[in-house]
Amino acid sequence: MDSSILDSLGVEIIGVMSPVSVCMLLVVLLVYSLSSATSSAASGTIRTAANLVYLESPSDSATQKLEGALLNALVFIVLISIVTFVLVLLYYYNFTNFLKNYMRFSAFFVLGTMGGSIFLSVIQHFSVPIDSITCFLLLFNFTVVGVLSVFSNGVPIFVRQAYMVVLGIIVAAWFTKLPEWTTWVLLVALAVYDLVAVLAPGGPLKLLVELASSRDEELPALVYEARPVVSRGPGTRGSNLGLLVGGVSEAGNVELQAVSQDNRNKSDEEVGNLANEEGETSPLMPNLRGRPTSSSGSSEYSVVDVRLDRGAQFGNGESEIVVDEEMSPLVDMLEFGGDREQTRGEIPEASTGTSRGIKLGLGDFVFYSVLVGRAAMYDLMTVYACYLAIISGLGCTLILLSVCHRALPALPISITLGVVFYFLTRLLMEPFVVGTSSNLMMF
Amino acid sequence: MTVTAGIGYALIALGPSLSLFVSVISKKPFLILTVLSSTLLWLISLIVLSGVWRAFLPLKTTAWWPYAILIITSIGFQEGLRFLFWKVYKRLEDILDAFADRVSKPRLFLTDKMQIALAGGLGHGSAHAVFFCLSLLTPAFGRATFFVDRCSQIPFFLISALIALAFVTIHTFSMVIAFNGYAEGNKVDQLFVPVVHMVAGMVTLINLASGGCVIGIPLLYFLAVLTLMHCGKMVWRRLTETQSRERSS
Repeated sequence: MDSSILDSLGVEIIGVMSPVSVCMLLVVLLVYSLSSATSSAASGTIRTAANLVYLESPSDSATQKLEGALLNALVFIVLISIVTFVLVLLYYYNFTNFLKNYMRFSAFFVLGTMGGSIFLSVIQHFSVPIDSITCFLLLFNFTVVGVLSVFSNGVPIFVRQAYMVVLGIIVAAWFTKLPEWTTWVLLVALAVYDLVAVLAPGGPLKLLVELASSRDEELPALVYEARPVVSRGPGTRGSNLGLLVGGVSEAGNVELQAVSQDNRNKSDEEVGNLANEEGETSPLMPNLRGRPTSSSGSSEYSVVDVRLDRGAQFGNGESEIVVDEEMSPLVDMLEFGGDREQTRGEIPEASTGTSRGIKLGLGDFVFYSVLVGRAAMYDLMTVYACYLAIISGLGCTLILLSVCHRALPALPISITLGVVFYFLTRLLMEPFVVGTSSNLMMF
Repeated sequence: MTVTAGIGYALIALGPSLSLFVSVISKKPFLILTVLSSTLLWLISLIVLSGVWRAFLPLKTTAWWPYAILIITSIGFQEGLRFLFWKVYKRLEDILDAFADRVSKPRLFLTDKMQIALAGGLGHGSAHAVFFCLSLLTPAFGRATFFVDRCSQIPFFLISALIALAFVTIHTFSMVIAFNGYAEGNKVDQLFVPVVHMVAGMVTLINLASGGCVIGIPLLYFLAVLTLMHCGKMVWRRLTETQSRERSS
C-alpha cells in the first residue's frame, strides 16, 4: 500500500512554524516567570534605542503616551534604516568578512551579556544553587559555541537552528521590557517599515537582497534556515506549498524546473570561483567538515559543498521536486548596534535557489515573540489569540511566497493580525468569556 | 502544590487531546495545519459572538433565560460555521485528490479523510478548552483556590476543567460524525451533531441553580460518552464496509 499524500504535505510550513512556536512559548514562559518577580520595580528605568525620546510613565495621559510612543517608534525606525543602509553599503563594497565578524561579535554580545543577565535573573528567581565560577564557565562555553555556530557550517544544522531560536528569545525578552504603548506603536511601525523596505523600489532590504542574489552568495546575516535536519527521502515535498494554494504551481512547473537546474549549474561553477577566492583555505578542504575554528573562507566553502551534495542528491532522485528550491527564501536579518542596547534592522531577502528551504529572519522571530510576550503580560487568553493570529499570518505569508517567488516581508501580515486580535480579545472577548465561564456555562 | 495543581487542571482539560495530538496529528504536518486553522476559525467565531453580545454584558440578572438565548445563538452560529468548514474542506479534498493524481499517488484514503475531520474537531475542541478553561487557570498557579457559590463542593478550576474535558470530547468527535454525515448525506448524523451540541450547552444551564453542577456534569459526561460511542460505531461501520468492498472487488 502506498503512503498517502497526507504524510508529506506541508512539511515546509511546519518546519518554519515550529521554531517560531518554540520561540514564542519560551518567551512567554520567561516573561511569566520573571515578570512576577521583578514587577514594575525595574521596568521604568531602562533606556534603549527604542525609547530614546520619551520615557513612558503610568501617570501620563493617553495622548501624551501616544505622542511619545510615536516619536520613539519614529526614531527607532530612522536608526534602523540608517544602520541598514550602512550595511548595504558595506555589502556593496564587499566587506563581507567584516560583516560576518560583526555578526559574530553581536551574537557574542547578545548571548554573553543580555543572555547572561537573563540567565542570572532566572537563577535568582528560582534560587538555583550555583557558584559564580561554574556559572561563568557555563555561560562562556554556551556563548562561544553559539558564536561559532552562527556562520560556520561545520556545526550541525540543528545546533545552529537552536542558537538562532535562543538569540531570538533573548532579544525578545529584552524587548518586552519596553513600556506598553511604545511596544505597540513600535511593532506596527516595524511592520510598515518591513513592508516598505522589502517591497518598495530602492528599499534597503530589497537592494541587499538583489545584491546578494546577483552575487549568488549567502547573506551575512542572522537567519533561521528551515532546512530539514534529517534529509527525507524523495517524496512529494517539492510542490507542497504550491499545492496548498490550489495547484498554482501547475503552470509554472516547467519553467521552475529550468530555473532551478540553472541555479544548480550556477552553483556548480561557483565552487570553482569560491575555491579560488578563498584560496588560502583550499588546502584544508578535505578535512574541513566539523572544524570548529571557522575562518569565514572555510565556512563559505562548506556551504557550497553541502549545497552541491544536496543538489546532486536532489537531481537524481526525482524530477517532480522543484518548487521548493524555487521558493524565494525569506530572509530577515538582524543586527545589533554596538554598545547601545540594541538597534536592529531586518532584512527579508531572497537569494533564489542558493539553498533550499525557507529562511526566516531572526528579526521576525524577535518581533513575533515580543508581541506574544507583551500579550502575556495581560492575560493567557490574549496570548493564545495572538499566537494563533501570528501563526496564521505566517502561514499566509508562506503561501504568498509560493505564489510570488520573491522575497516577502514576514512581519506585516502577522503583526497586523496579532495586534488586531490582541485588542479584539482584550476588549470584546474577555468580558464575554469570563462572564459566561465564571457562571460555569460553556458551549 | 500550586504549580502542580495548575498543571494538573490543565492536563485534566487537555490531556486526552494532547495525547491524541501527539499520537495521531503531530506525525502529519498537514493535520497540524488543519488543527491550527480550525482553532483560528473557532476563535474568530468566538470574537464575532462576543462582539455581538458585548453590549449586553455583563448580565445583571440572575434569571436563566438571557443565558439560554446567549447559548442558543452561539451554538447556532457555530453550527453554521461548521457547515462552512465542511464546504471549505470539500474543496480542499478535491484539490488534494487532483494533486495526488498529478504526482501519481493514491487519492485520499477513508482514514485520511477521517483524520482530517478529527484534526478539525480537535482544533475546535482545544480552542474551546483553551479559551474557556485554560485562560482562566492563571490564578490556579498561585496560592489558594477559588469556589463559586453555586457549586461549593468542588473548586471552580476543577469544575471548569471537567466541563472543558467533556466539551473537548464532544467537539472533537462530533466533527468526525458531522463530516461523515455530510459526505454520506446521512440526515441522522447531520442532525445528531447540532442536537448534541445544543443539549450539552443547555445542560450547562443547570449549573446556574445552586448545587446544580452535581447533576449537570454527569449529564454532560453522558452526552460526551454518547458522542464518543456514536462516533466509534460509525467509524467501525465505515471501515468494515470499505474493507469488505475492497475484498470483493
